Amino acid sequence: MNEAQQILDDSVNRFFNAQIDRDFLTRIEASHWDDALWGNLVDQGLSQVLVSDAHGGMGGSWLDAFIVARACGKHAVPLPVPEQLLANWLQEQAGLTPRAGVAGLLVAPIPSAALSDNQVTLTAERVPWGRRADYFVGVTSTSELLVLDTTAARVIPDANLAREPRDRITFTAAPVLARARVALPSDVVRTLGALLRSAQIAGAAAACLELSVKYTSEREQFGRALAQFQAIQHQLAELAGAMASVDTIAATAAIVMDTRGIMAAGRNALFEIAAAKCRASEAVESITRISHQVHGAIGFTYEYDLQFLTRRLWSWRAEFGAHGEWGEHLGQIAIAEGGAELWHYLTA
Amino acid sequence: MNLDALRFPRYELPTNLEPLRSEVRAFLAAELKGYSPLVRSNSWDGIDPEFSRKLGAHGWLGMTLPTAYGGHGRTALERYVVVEEVLAAGAPVGFHWVADRQSGPMIARLGTEDQKRTILPAIARGEACFCIGMSEPNAGSDLASVRSRAVRTSDGWVLNGTKIWTSNAHRANYMIALFRTDSATDSKHGGLSQFLIDMGAAKGITPRPIRDLTGRSNFNEVSFVDAWLPSDAILGNEGDGWKQVTAELAFERSGPERYLSCFILLTQLVEMLKARASPAALAKLGAEIAWTVTLRNMSLSVAGMLNAGLDPSLQASVVKDLGCHFEQRLPGLAQELIALEPTLADSGLDFQQVLGNLVQLAPSFSLRGGTLEILRGIIARGLGVR
Repeated sequence: MNEAQQILDDSVNRFFNAQIDRDFLTRIEASHWDDALWGNLVDQGLSQVLVSDAHGGMGGSWLDAFIVARACGKHAVPLPVPEQLLANWLQEQAGLTPRAGVAGLLVAPIPSAALSDNQVTLTAERVPWGRRADYFVGVTSTSELLVLDTTAARVIPDANLAREPRDRITFTAAPVLARARVALPSDVVRTLGALLRSAQIAGAAAACLELSVKYTSEREQFGRALAQFQAIQHQLAELAGAMASVDTIAATAAIVMDTRGIMAAGRNALFEIAAAKCRASEAVESITRISHQVHGAIGFTYEYDLQFLTRRLWSWRAEFGAHGEWGEHLGQIAIAEGGAELWHYLTA
Repeated sequence: MNLDALRFPRYELPTNLEPLRSEVRAFLAAELKGYSPLVRSNSWDGIDPEFSRKLGAHGWLGMTLPTAYGGHGRTALERYVVVEEVLAAGAPVGFHWVADRQSGPMIARLGTEDQKRTILPAIARGEACFCIGMSEPNAGSDLASVRSRAVRTSDGWVLNGTKIWTSNAHRANYMIALFRTDSATDSKHGGLSQFLIDMGAAKGITPRPIRDLTGRSNFNEVSFVDAWLPSDAILGNEGDGWKQVTAELAFERSGPERYLSCFILLTQLVEMLKARASPAALAKLGAEIAWTVTLRNMSLSVAGMLNAGLDPSLQASVVKDLGCHFEQRLPGLAQELIALEPTLADSGLDFQQVLGNLVQLAPSFSLRGGTLEILRGIIARGLGVR
């Protein structure tokens, strides 16, 4: 991270710190949206990090996006900021000007058969905040980016464990507002979604660690703070290691995305992204287990902050591919390279 | 709590090191041709003075030592590349390992002119084997409670006591050892000094090999009975032993050996799964691939911080903790995925032999260079709860 990125990290965290607290998170679990916060963060340019200067954005890198997404995870930001970052980036990659308003991101590639006469008929599953979308963005199986109108979209509301909207959207002859080829794989949304979720998991893990250290330093039992017990200290150390491992590989994946992208021949950022989501999703088990264990019963209550983080971690673990799926991808790479070539591949 | 202390800034090796990497790789490919996977799995426990000499002849030992003392004046990062390559290849680096990693740099920093002139060139040639005299029968993790004593005489020092778990003491040319030089001090960490001992010259020092659970004898109990050392055998300053030993342990905890000791088993596992692997097996293999690339990036980050003159002792402890868990998990995973018995017998497949060797060596990974419990204590202190 350079100095500008350190400043971005500080300012984004300060911004969310001032805007989001327990009452806010509790309220939004029922309302699922907050115009004031969304308006503020759009004004701050947080959804425009990956948008070029020419289109009024920050002209930032994927490491900048990582910083914002990690802060979203750390503060359990209950709005689709990472999704908007990705939707805006995709539109620019397709040579389009990112639209104003909330983008509904279609996670799975749109099958060719769903598109005819410039209209789409399709059921899209688990679209983040689909009910709030002003337009939808998806990539077809032939790597064409489509921007879809909401008029012919029917919403069946659903949510993940953290009560973040994950809606089923049924498009019936929905008009294509814009379309253009992208030089990206058809499953680009899943891949870069995995990168952003890894960053969010790193952020939520850091918040879990901070809460756990704070709570065990204050709470006394047997006449001393819990954190004075070696059994607790060693659990906190394990939690710190899990957090650091996720943070390192997720940041690495973002940086490699900036340098190698996901289209270059040979080893490109897909490898680090797969490793990041695999490690991040796998780490959710120990992060949530230890955080809850050292908090005791208070951490299991709705009134305490920890659950806003851990319910997100359990959901994000699965979204855009769990560790098993990404692990299989990595395992296949290893088999294809073979034992003798494995080290050469890792250092390429 | 400051999360920054747990960050691992991205560090990429400069691309101008790639020719060096290729050169080392080509050398190792030719040199290790006849080495079986079983032999390679001994990694930094593998002793081969001839190989060490060859590595030295290529200028790949004592790389960071000053040229005036036979070193090569190269950067720690150049050394990092060489170390990565020799470990990943399973080269037998045990003879020169301690000398190249920690003893050489310590002598360069703290040694007398005479010590530097006589010893450093031998280290760079791969001809000096060092051992580390830290633990004692009653002082292991609690290193500050060492009781072995060095008493000053008119013309030198007289050492008495016992060191234990001293790898290679029976073949080492030198030992750097921690002794109590002032038992009157109240401070537990005070009154300790390090000695640079010429094992060939000193009388009254007797290594007694200890068989380990594999049946081999790499480590020793070393008794000191009125062992006389000249006055200049002290390394660094009298009374600074604790400070020096702490800095020495930082060298031990930061290198790529913290996650590469079992790499040969990972490659063998990949070979075995080539023929047939279920999606679930691939997923488990892939999770360890994710760990490998994660640990490499964390290890590189520590190297980068060291290179920038920072003190990453907390991050180094995190890497060692995570790296040990990774290395100790692999034999169990390999056994889970491939139902072949571990063996050291010639009749076994390479996979079975490597597994047979490493499953037995693995318990030592989280003991040497500081136990996991000590490392976790260091991490807890970094979190501000200790």
